[in-house]
Amino acid sequence: MKNIFLKAAAIGCVFMLSACGKNKSEDVTPPDGKLDPCELRFSWWGGDDRHEATLNAIKLWADKHPEIKIVPEYGGWDGWTEKVTSQLSGGTEPDIMQINYDWLITMSPDGKGFYDLDKLSPTLDTSGFSDDVLSFGKVGDTLNAVTVSVTGRGLFYNSDVYRSIGAEYPSTWDELFALGDKFSTQDIYPLDLDIQSGGTAWYLAVVYVQQTTGRQFITMDGKLGFTVDDIKAALDFYKETEDRHVIRTVRTRTDEDGNAALYQSPGFISGNVAGVLEWGSSVGKYESVLPENVLEAGPLLTDGAGSSGGWMIKPSMLYAVSKNTEHPDEAAAFLNFLLNDKECAKLLGTTRGIPASSYAEESLEESGMLSGLAQENNEMLEKLDTVTISPYMELTRMKEFYNTAIEEVSYGIADTDSAAQEMYDSITQYLEKIRK
Amino acid sequence: MKKIPAYFLLTAAGIVMLYPLLWLAGASFKSNSEIFSSVWFMPDSFDFQVYKNAWRTVTPYTMGHYFLNTFLIIIPKTVFAVLSSVIVAYGFARFDFPLKKFFFALLLGGMLMPSIVTVLPMFLLWSKLGVLDTYIPLTVPYLFASEGMFVFILVQFFKGVPKEFDEAARIDGCGTLRTLFFVLMPCIRPAVISIAVFTFLWTMNDFLTPLIMIQSVEKYPLSLALRLSVDSTGQNYEQNKLIALSIIGLIPSITVFAIAQKKFVSGITAGGLTG
Amino acid sequence: MKKKTYRNPVGVSRFTGLLLISPFIAGSALFLIYPFFCSFLLGMTNYDGIRPPEFTGLNNYRVMLSDESFRKALGVTLKYAAFLVPMKLLVSLLTALLLAQEIKGIGIYRTVFYIPSILGSNLAVVIMWQYLFTSKGLVNQLLSLAGASPVSWYGDPDKALFIIVLLRLWEFGSTMIIFLTALRGIPKELYEAAKVDGCGPVRAFFAITLPQMKSVIFVNLILQTIAAFQEFNAPYMITGGGPLRSTYTLGMLIYDEMFRYNEQGYANAVSWVLFMLISAAVAVMYAVSAFLRRDEE
Repeated sequence: MKNIFLKAAAIGCVFMLSACGKNKSEDVTPPDGKLDPCELRFSWWGGDDRHEATLNAIKLWADKHPEIKIVPEYGGWDGWTEKVTSQLSGGTEPDIMQINYDWLITMSPDGKGFYDLDKLSPTLDTSGFSDDVLSFGKVGDTLNAVTVSVTGRGLFYNSDVYRSIGAEYPSTWDELFALGDKFSTQDIYPLDLDIQSGGTAWYLAVVYVQQTTGRQFITMDGKLGFTVDDIKAALDFYKETEDRHVIRTVRTRTDEDGNAALYQSPGFISGNVAGVLEWGSSVGKYESVLPENVLEAGPLLTDGAGSSGGWMIKPSMLYAVSKNTEHPDEAAAFLNFLLNDKECAKLLGTTRGIPASSYAEESLEESGMLSGLAQENNEMLEKLDTVTISPYMELTRMKEFYNTAIEEVSYGIADTDSAAQEMYDSITQYLEKIRK
Repeated sequence: MKKIPAYFLLTAAGIVMLYPLLWLAGASFKSNSEIFSSVWFMPDSFDFQVYKNAWRTVTPYTMGHYFLNTFLIIIPKTVFAVLSSVIVAYGFARFDFPLKKFFFALLLGGMLMPSIVTVLPMFLLWSKLGVLDTYIPLTVPYLFASEGMFVFILVQFFKGVPKEFDEAARIDGCGTLRTLFFVLMPCIRPAVISIAVFTFLWTMNDFLTPLIMIQSVEKYPLSLALRLSVDSTGQNYEQNKLIALSIIGLIPSITVFAIAQKKFVSGITAGGLTG
Repeated sequence: MKKKTYRNPVGVSRFTGLLLISPFIAGSALFLIYPFFCSFLLGMTNYDGIRPPEFTGLNNYRVMLSDESFRKALGVTLKYAAFLVPMKLLVSLLTALLLAQEIKGIGIYRTVFYIPSILGSNLAVVIMWQYLFTSKGLVNQLLSLAGASPVSWYGDPDKALFIIVLLRLWEFGSTMIIFLTALRGIPKELYEAAKVDGCGPVRAFFAITLPQMKSVIFVNLILQTIAAFQEFNAPYMITGGGPLRSTYTLGMLIYDEMFRYNEQGYANAVSWVLFMLISAAVAVMYAVSAFLRRDEE
């Protein structure tokens, strides 16, 4: 009896390992330059507004190309990475996928995880994208994905609170620290930095150090650009924001908000915490919990002496095509429609951020749909010497390293020297492992 | 009058248990700024618009459609799970056979292993079999008593029924299965019903497995539909809508439980459980 | 080789039982042995979910020995189980005793006490716990009414685990239902006889109820121990494992490694360690229960 089971198990595993080690990469279907009738699966995550807009865009496509049917697969963000990861290991992923920046590394470490999009031109027209923006979707030399929108970290403030306290939005680091004193008299805070979902604490510190040293924290090819001293300087900067009442300590914050994101927290909604560092593409959540037009974009901080670099931009999301797709031409045509079509752009609006394609952007500009905080923030960033952050910086494990260090420093169980050394070692070790 | 302390105790404990939920229900009518500003559960006004919107969804289907999907999964699953668990538990509890210890250890082993390790292998298996995006991966495993915990519970309850019952039935000419269904089942009916209810309730909350196995939005069960609009990376956040959705999602479970709770206790109690 | 005899009623073949459990046997190959075997194999690779796995032998297990976060998660998990399991059994048993009474409207109470368990640890629970335990939450407000100073629940590494234990205690319904089902199965004659003998309710509880409930207490003990050791959802939603990893359980570690860090090989290895750990705990419980039974006979 036992033998049978061992055999069954062995067969089962052959099953599995054949799936894991699938050598399908040789079987990539080449484009043939024709559009044939077929069905394409397209998946994305998002909220209601994005679902609604995208479904409308698909309807428009169906009017134009009834022979190419798009099957939408969408859901919330929770679990979406898990879903796509499983699909990729089984080779059952949709033909076209909305992907996150760091997935390029985790899902296509060698550039072979997704379809090589260079092969799909001219059906997929990339002339609306600058070379810089195109390079975001490259793994090595392979164009694995096209950037949907570019976003950057910005500072946003509760204008009611600032007005009532008689404070101006800070424009230099010194002004930010000075605000701490002013706000502390009322026991409220000018800004919030978190180590939960946003993980903004470390990001602001990195901006500060990138601006002062001119070095990039993690380079595009996945190497640590900061020295131990740079990391220590960043942690010291963070500690100073806590000590000078610019932000709540991790402990106070956790006590007041639990594990909730800032936009779900009583402190932010009631105005006790009057500022947030956020990606322009995600700031809508903070806007929607405050009364209309109360949240305003503030200046990006400089040292006041001409140094204004270090602020970060990244693609907020990208589209990739499955390497297993049987219909590369049709997928390219649909992707092109999503990215560049002027009518489609109007339907999609800014539900995926300010479009990176100049065709889509123009279309939105003509119809007056380019406004709001995300746009204001992008305009501010355009004037600065920004740093495109590396996808390696966005890896979940990396965020764990940042947050551990911040938390230890905040709770006082490690000084910034030892926390910096620990972070330096873990990052170096991890990046080395990932890069190979 | 002896019952008054009991009522007092139950009501007091009940309020403590339920107040957070009452507050939650109230919160679905409050604006974001109201929600945490008062500990009192009553909203200033009742506006059911949020429920209407939540019910309508932005997908081409209403929540009703997703409720139906969930039932298309839950009903076969519950029937499969109960039937197979009862039969298998009966086998373990009442009969001796080759490799019994090995199989019982296997059953226990299945309960002890974190179920997450099976997610990916099972996904790959179902995808090889070509049944992704169907309800087969969510229901068919339950035909095979794959929820070891149910078998484990039932075995203990079967053991509580005196063996004399089986012998009497056999003398009366009942075969193995007839003994099970006509003599033993009535004795452990409350336990069987608990298992059916557990299957129902847990399936309602099941998230990761359906998310991975089901691709088409059309086939989403309720648990996925409820989280369709939750996007921490996105633009919008409507707390009261999320709460309204959670509450909508609770209704079937509460209903099923309220109906089933009578049955937990109304089995034929002659046998009872012995140690 | 010694021929084994099977203790079955007269006329019942040793294959009857096998036939009855045949659905389980058939299913176990696909649903247990196959995934377990895969998991075991993957535990000895560096599989990242995308690239073909490389065999690394016992390396994952070696890494675990020096992995600080594994060690900490192990400690948290043990502490969590040690707190939760006995309390949950006690609370469920006491409530089941209350709810087993035949009084008017008891059905409503049974439903009321079960409702929290329906919630699991979904988003609603997160918001509710925030309402209860944040610094200006209901609990602290009640404490201040009583003249006590507010307590730091979420932010204190020594207390955060406690609010997760509380959540799972609040959701005691399923355990309670199993107790209730068994309680109602105790023949009433036993209590009547005891009453005739002049036995009070407390003595009746110890003399009749507890002995009659032994096997079901054992069932719940096993089930709750397993659930506590595998806990993932509650800390994941309520505290995210913080502060300072004071609520980061092994279940969370496995999930993170598996899906968030793409270390499937390592995640599977940790799962096997957790499996061995739970097996050991369950084996001890079986041994103790067997010992107690022998003592009795």
